[in-house]
Amino acid sequence: MMREKATTLYLGPQHPGITGNMMIKLKVEGDTVVKAETHVGYLHRGFEKLMERRNWLQSFTIVCRICVPEPDPNELNYSRAVEEIEGREVPERAQWIRTLMMELSRLASYLLWFGGQNGSAGLYTMPQWTVGDRDYILDLFEELTGGRVYHMYIWPGGVRRDLPEGFASRVLQTMDYLEKRLLQYDQLMFDNTVFQKRAQGIGWIDPAKAIEWGVVGPPLRGAGIKSDVRIDDPYLVYDKLDFEVPTQSGSDVWSRSLVRRAEFQQSINMVRQIIDKMPEGPVYNKIPNPMKWNIPAGDAYVKSESARGEFGYYVVSDGGNKPRRVHVKGPAYVHGVTLLENILQGANISDVSFIMNSLGTCPPEIER
Amino acid sequence: MTDNNLHKEQQIVDHLIGTFQNLSGKVKREKRVEVSIEKKQISSVLNYVKDHLGFVHFSHMSCVDWIEDGYFELVYILWSPKQKVQLLVKALVDRENPSVENVDMIWRQVNTYQREIREMYGIDFSGMKGAQDFILEDWDEIPPMRRDFITDEYVKEVYFERPGREDAKDVRETLVKRSGEEIPDFAKKYSRD
Repeated sequence: MMREKATTLYLGPQHPGITGNMMIKLKVEGDTVVKAETHVGYLHRGFEKLMERRNWLQSFTIVCRICVPEPDPNELNYSRAVEEIEGREVPERAQWIRTLMMELSRLASYLLWFGGQNGSAGLYTMPQWTVGDRDYILDLFEELTGGRVYHMYIWPGGVRRDLPEGFASRVLQTMDYLEKRLLQYDQLMFDNTVFQKRAQGIGWIDPAKAIEWGVVGPPLRGAGIKSDVRIDDPYLVYDKLDFEVPTQSGSDVWSRSLVRRAEFQQSINMVRQIIDKMPEGPVYNKIPNPMKWNIPAGDAYVKSESARGEFGYYVVSDGGNKPRRVHVKGPAYVHGVTLLENILQGANISDVSFIMNSLGTCPPEIER
Repeated sequence: MTDNNLHKEQQIVDHLIGTFQNLSGKVKREKRVEVSIEKKQISSVLNYVKDHLGFVHFSHMSCVDWIEDGYFELVYILWSPKQKVQLLVKALVDRENPSVENVDMIWRQVNTYQREIREMYGIDFSGMKGAQDFILEDWDEIPPMRRDFITDEYVKEVYFERPGREDAKDVRETLVKRSGEEIPDFAKKYSRD
């Protein structure tokens, strides 16, 4: 029997199916992927080296640019790490505002994910809808922080300014709108037989090995494992909010989509609770002169649950006014490299982009 | 926070101190524990904490360049989903001949971290197979995350200013030259000293 000869295909770095710029070198036999290799390096901007030459406050302005779909966890983790090393208290109201930012950012990131996941399957109506709806959240961000995507709002000591007049009611209006839209997304995507047939049984991750392989976030919850940094290692005010962590047991693209859809609803509920329960008070514990602000020697590892999984920051201070080391670890570092290479084996070419989107691969945070 | 609340963290530290020689450790805060080991113990400690203490999730691996003291500090960051504790395992590696054992057979994703640290710091992970480079391509300078790689000097050496831009680097000087006006020294003008 003649063996089919394997062909090498280069998916990316410019490809409509790739979430960002990265190259996947595929070896295919016919339609089936035999081997996949991730090649990154097209988005390396050298943030960590840059931060070693900028003082603590200057560094906070560039961390948000590390991750494009969801910049806020970067700002939050950087600030929390600096506060932990220095021992700085953050006012109560600032913690609530930070939580609000995190949940709004999670919603914006999920809307972008809805778009990407369906775009890679060919259902282009969804990206048109969700990217448009995401604009309502970006309008809220612009009103609050001045920036639509990169906010530079959460800094060590608190947040930059308080909520403007009427902001809370505008947030609630947006939540009502998104909740209504979610039903329409259900009709178009989740009740859609074609999407179901495409997504079920694809991109399976072995639940028994998922934690060992470093899977985090919705892919881990889609494998039936209830794991979320907000309940395992609570931070901000998540211990004061009432929310569930949904799981599914299928461990395929379909399960991950259902998990994200359920979390979308949970986030909307959380935003409403935050607006309802937020106390009054100051929003900033003022830092000293930034040019002369030295953080005592020490290190800290802080993590938060972003829309795509566990986002970690390891920050080291040597007692000076500049960071000695800031090392960022996003969920895509594992999902986009070793995990992707593993589960693409045996997949169909047309499912490569589909699977990649379901894992939440984000090349900017793999190579910073 | 009373010491009673850090009971399980202290137990982990005490157990590791009792199990391995030349290991020191402390409880940093709730859910954060740190141990310092020798580099030859890396694989035995990591295997032990994974198999016996429940630290099955490999969170992160980092490297810090302490150039003044002559060593790199490798930090392995692990998480135990059952006990909900984060463990930082730190080992020092000599800067002159940095070489440690490869541990990507314990967790396969460690391979990615090792590739990046090898590329950015020049630490050799002996026995690591597969692709070696990760982010950089055709790089023949010293590993760029080392403290002795000065980005400014590298840029001045390798790149040249675009023609016509040689005199436009300092914004104040350029404006003064082109307009002929003197810009006041604002720092001096508004200082309260």
